[in-house]
Amino acid sequence: MTIYIEGKACECDKGEYLLDVAQRNGVFIPTLCDHKGLAGQGCCRVCIVEIEIRGWSNVVTSCVYPVEQECKVYVNSDKIMRQRGMILSLLYKRAPESKEIEQMCRFYKTPELPRLKQQGGNRCIMCGLCTRACMALGSGAITTAYRGTEKAIATPYDEPSADCIGCGSCAKVCPTNAIKAEEGQDFRRIWGKTFRLMRCTECGEVIGTPEEIEYTAQKLSMEPAVLCEACRRKKIAAVMAHTYGENE
Amino acid sequence: MSRIILVCCGTGCLANDSMKVVEALREQIALDRRDAQVQAVIKETGCNGFCENGPIVKIMPDDISYYKVKPADATAIIGSLGGEPVERLLYRGADGKRVKSQHENPFYSPQIKIALRNIGVIDPGDLQDYISRGGYEALKKALSMTPEEIISEVEASGLRGRGGAGFSTGRKWRTAAGYDNFPKYIVCNGDEGDPGAFMDRSILDGDPHSVLEGMAIGALAVGAKEGFLYIRDEYGLALRNVQKAILDAEKAGILGDSVMGGPHSLRLSIVRGGGAFVCGESTALMASIEGRVGEPRAKYIRSVQRGLWDQPTVLNNVETLANIPVIIQDGGSQFARIGTEKSKGTKVFALVGKVKRTGLVEVPMGVSLRHLIYDIGGGIINDRPFKAVQTGGPSGGCIPAHMLDLPVDFDTLTEYGAMMGSGGMIVMDDRSCMVEVARYYVNFLCEESCGKCTPCREGLRHMRDIMTDICEGRGRDGDIELLEALCETLTDSALCALGKSAPNPVLTTIRYFREEYEAHIKRSICPAGVCKSLTSFYIDKDKCMGCSLCKRQCPVGAVSGELKATHAIDGDACISCGGCREVCRFEAVKTTGRCLV
Repeated sequence: MTIYIEGKACECDKGEYLLDVAQRNGVFIPTLCDHKGLAGQGCCRVCIVEIEIRGWSNVVTSCVYPVEQECKVYVNSDKIMRQRGMILSLLYKRAPESKEIEQMCRFYKTPELPRLKQQGGNRCIMCGLCTRACMALGSGAITTAYRGTEKAIATPYDEPSADCIGCGSCAKVCPTNAIKAEEGQDFRRIWGKTFRLMRCTECGEVIGTPEEIEYTAQKLSMEPAVLCEACRRKKIAAVMAHTYGENE
Repeated sequence: MSRIILVCCGTGCLANDSMKVVEALREQIALDRRDAQVQAVIKETGCNGFCENGPIVKIMPDDISYYKVKPADATAIIGSLGGEPVERLLYRGADGKRVKSQHENPFYSPQIKIALRNIGVIDPGDLQDYISRGGYEALKKALSMTPEEIISEVEASGLRGRGGAGFSTGRKWRTAAGYDNFPKYIVCNGDEGDPGAFMDRSILDGDPHSVLEGMAIGALAVGAKEGFLYIRDEYGLALRNVQKAILDAEKAGILGDSVMGGPHSLRLSIVRGGGAFVCGESTALMASIEGRVGEPRAKYIRSVQRGLWDQPTVLNNVETLANIPVIIQDGGSQFARIGTEKSKGTKVFALVGKVKRTGLVEVPMGVSLRHLIYDIGGGIINDRPFKAVQTGGPSGGCIPAHMLDLPVDFDTLTEYGAMMGSGGMIVMDDRSCMVEVARYYVNFLCEESCGKCTPCREGLRHMRDIMTDICEGRGRDGDIELLEALCETLTDSALCALGKSAPNPVLTTIRYFREEYEAHIKRSICPAGVCKSLTSFYIDKDKCMGCSLCKRQCPVGAVSGELKATHAIDGDACISCGGCREVCRFEAVKTTGRCLV
């Protein structure tokens, strides 16, 4: 089936998410809470677009909107620019310290809205991507707490979580760099918990926290890793060479 | 001849000691047993809907209704059985005359009871009582029908979801039945959370089997073998009665492994809601049943296709389900005779606020707001002017006086910016500030929003801040326009129905009461005299009769004046509580802006 995004003809299958179709065809739709490895949630809502089906137009969230029939899609219509501008302005009020949001606001020339109060120094936009990453990995150490305007990302009861393995995935997926993982020579501090850092037995490169290595090993029924990625490859290459190559 | 004494043991009457009335009546019957002319049986029933006049006691078959019954009245009631009714306990109509039966009571006489048909008549804890009123006959009939026939019947009835959105129930069932993907689930939404609404509670309390029967028929139609009733945990009596009803029905072979001895099975269980308003939204409710955080998801893929655990799921509201047995039993076309062209049947409303008679009323779709408020509700308390009625709960809108003749149905209310919602109806008089009312609802939604999507979480917070500013005299030029812009963003781009409809109270009050907003912002006056920061009270010397009622009412001693002489209010001491104005019988207490006095 063919849909038209910003006038560009795009081939897609029924049921594909609109955002995926646009990205595959090189049409840019801004996103914040979208991550390729995790299912779309439609939290941040900056990826809203206007679709037109048989003359009826509607605002939809492209990351979770499955294409069911032929349609025209407008990524930057007047209506969308107005709404996206408002949404970005609102996010900026919540996360005034986020450089990413500031840049997006500048790019989309969003209204400043001096009348609205700022939330206070913060970078988090409450998209919940971190909690979804944590859940997808299976530890579920952080989650959203409370609801409504009081919503927060937290470990249970704000105590250091027994389930946290210090992998730092939450920090890595965060679109606004709001999660601080403090890292020293031989420790990593995140969510109020300090972890030792293990180093590659060959080259001394950081390979993760003991909890993380143990967790991965258990999940994959393997021996806990002791080498970094580069040294592991070298070792495998050596084994291969020994088995199939130079020995003969 | 024996008599049945029906004592209302709905939540409202229980709070007014109706259990003590039951005990007193029992004792009295036991005392009188030896020389009693008439035999009497006591039955504890569900809510009669006229809670402000509870506890309600009815004598059948004489059809006598007593109101505000005290345990001490037991002797008189039992003594009068078979004779003249106890005059002082009868309802006093507007003309001062006492009326004997419910049919003569102006609160009840215009009502047509379908969803509430058994409530107040049967003992909700007694399965036999339900069966004796024709209960489970519809299920028996449905078992002899094909799913297609059941769905056609429901479609013919024109029944639309009573939870708020008004989606066609028949169409929902047809879509769910069309998916060849098992297992399927049927869910009853009993997470009623609108402030002031209690129709679902009343049905679950007072006639739980009707809901179970509706679910069983729905399960047959769509091919579900498992069902859940999601009931909020605050509804203690409902939980107890529904649990008992499920057990009784299973024991009697009506539900369970073999529905009425046939080849179908249906397991129903209760899931208790944890008190989140947003869990009344279907997808959030399902997330909650699954054990996840109660947050809605985008509904581009409908729950009938992928709902609970990604399986086809039919979710219906309590009141919708309670209508189903009647539709199957009497036929869809019979049901469709009541109501308007596009809204069929009856609707239960929780009529509350500044009306003389408050309570649960079931009326045909399409009656006018005026009929509801003036004929059934008896008009505004103290005959003050009507100002607005807020329909549809926190996401509904406020409808002003010049639109009182609008018919109440799904489409008309939506057209005018309000909505049917679950049927809450809060009546306001001229002493209600519409800005403050809108602020109240925005604040409610701020607390109850799940906080998942940006427009709802952030937009509502700022709307609340602006509304609070306006109510406290810090409103600025441009605030109304800014509110409208925020509302547009919410309506168009919020994730779920809660966010999308959250602007309704603000938008309708701006639309119909814009001058009130402007008075707050530009003139620093609250015309209704409600917003404390913008209101000061004074006494009109020409009207004051010196009765001193206000002086006695004032909690801070701010009113001065001798009996029979004009009174005055000390502005510095006054805390603007409005108590003096409430009690004054001569309209002598007036309000004005803060800075003017």
